[in-house]
Amino acid sequence: MENDGKRRAFLKVLGLGSVTLGGAGYTLMADATQEPSKAKPHYGMIFDQNKCVGCTDCEVACKKVNAVPAGQARLFVENKTDPATPMEKKYVRVSCQQCEDAPCVKVCPSKACHRDSKTGIVTMNPDDCIACKYCIVACPYDVRFINHKTKAAENCNFCLNTNLAKGKEPGCVEACKYKALVFGDLNDENSYINQILHVKDSVRMKPTYGTKPSLRYIPVVKVGV
Amino acid sequence: MNGAINFTHGFSHGVEWGWPIAVYLLLAGISGGALIVALMVRYYKKQHEDTPLLKAASLVSFATIAFGMVFLVGDLEKPLYFWKILINYNFTSVMSIGVLAISIYIPLTLVMCLYMFEKEISIVLAKKNTLVSYFAMIMSILTRFRPLIEVLSVVFAVIICAYTGFLISVLVRFPILNTAILPALFVVSGLSAGTASASMVASWLFKEDTHSSDLKTLHTIEWPVMAIEIMLIAMLFVSLLVGNEFQKTTTVAFQSGVYANLFWFGVMGLGFGIPLVLNFALGKKIASSHIAFYLSGMASVVGVLCLRMFIIYAGQTFGI
Repeated sequence: MENDGKRRAFLKVLGLGSVTLGGAGYTLMADATQEPSKAKPHYGMIFDQNKCVGCTDCEVACKKVNAVPAGQARLFVENKTDPATPMEKKYVRVSCQQCEDAPCVKVCPSKACHRDSKTGIVTMNPDDCIACKYCIVACPYDVRFINHKTKAAENCNFCLNTNLAKGKEPGCVEACKYKALVFGDLNDENSYINQILHVKDSVRMKPTYGTKPSLRYIPVVKVGV
Repeated sequence: MNGAINFTHGFSHGVEWGWPIAVYLLLAGISGGALIVALMVRYYKKQHEDTPLLKAASLVSFATIAFGMVFLVGDLEKPLYFWKILINYNFTSVMSIGVLAISIYIPLTLVMCLYMFEKEISIVLAKKNTLVSYFAMIMSILTRFRPLIEVLSVVFAVIICAYTGFLISVLVRFPILNTAILPALFVVSGLSAGTASASMVASWLFKEDTHSSDLKTLHTIEWPVMAIEIMLIAMLFVSLLVGNEFQKTTTVAFQSGVYANLFWFGVMGLGFGIPLVLNFALGKKIASSHIAFYLSGMASVVGVLCLRMFIIYAGQTFGI
């Protein structure tokens, strides 16, 4: 019977301990969940080749939202269907890869090509651009161009000054009927883009350049039977 | 998995940096090269007077870099905004570093010209007495710093030649450009074009004898410089030939098509062949003639222009 008292005491300690520790743990957890919202966002995008049908609605929306001159594009959907298997359609998004280590930002002599201070998105200040074309030739992905109207270099900036400024998703993402495009904050653990990246294999384009693109691609991979 | 998905469509559609940049690269090379060789000859021979060669080199280096600026700024889509570079300076950009070097180098070449043509400028200004006295005052201050200005001129001339190479060797998409050899090749080819230009101007404008001791010295260093140039081009080619998949595909630029012709007829034939034939193959009489002197000088300048053209155009055509 002596043991009974000891056991009770032990259970008491265990119960109290678990409550306090759990509570402490909870507050720590709360801190951890609040942290990413304080940290700067890191916007990324996923292009899912399994879902893209090549309808080019994204291209049309991009031109409309960002007033891209006729004959030019920030975004292009390239048909990469293998001629040997014409029934297996493959499309791929061609646009700024939003590199974390962006060569265009590094080489721009007038700092017109810069990283937006709030969002971290690689974007342009057309007034400072002298159109030396250094960023265009320095980009490993060849996805920059001189806008015929503004005479300034331009790239996909996730609709930073247009849709994003209004609190909307980028034009291409809004326009995609097949949900082949997902946009979100990679620094937010709970964002939908992270949920997808946790369960799907994705790749970066030309990873050998070490530019760490924020655009991820989910390729069609046919295992074959 | 990396090869599972890829795109090949680009937005630039062709060569973004065209002939104005190639011409600028040539002019910057001549400017730097001329000043380097003339001042090196001066140090080597311990000269104290202003030789025709140094006069010619100072004039050439100022004129070519100033003219080069016209091409450089003219190639911008918004040339009137070029000053934005100076107020939004970016230390990570080779172009910004180059602009800083140029804005030190151009005044240096100008001061070198002032030293060389002090008398001539005084004569021109003599009509206005006040200007002459101001000029004399400025020159008396500048003359005190002459040794320093000369050393700085050599240093910045090398920087100007080298930076033009680094400017395009950072373009990772293009295997022909993205090599460590390029800045060295640009310094050496700048030296050969600068030597040719300075000696031609010295003989033509300043009546230097084509067989004078200075020009003889230049003649003897011309051939080793040319040999190093050929060696560097060969190294560039071999490094592409033994490189990765993308580097290998670019070697076609040397083997067939317009750019191969530009390379073999322009760079090799004009730039190296003609001077060699004129000076060694046709006998002493032709080799020492005036025509041969100017013809081989012109040929090596045009050859270096062809080299810059080849690098710029073939380099940007064969991208990944």
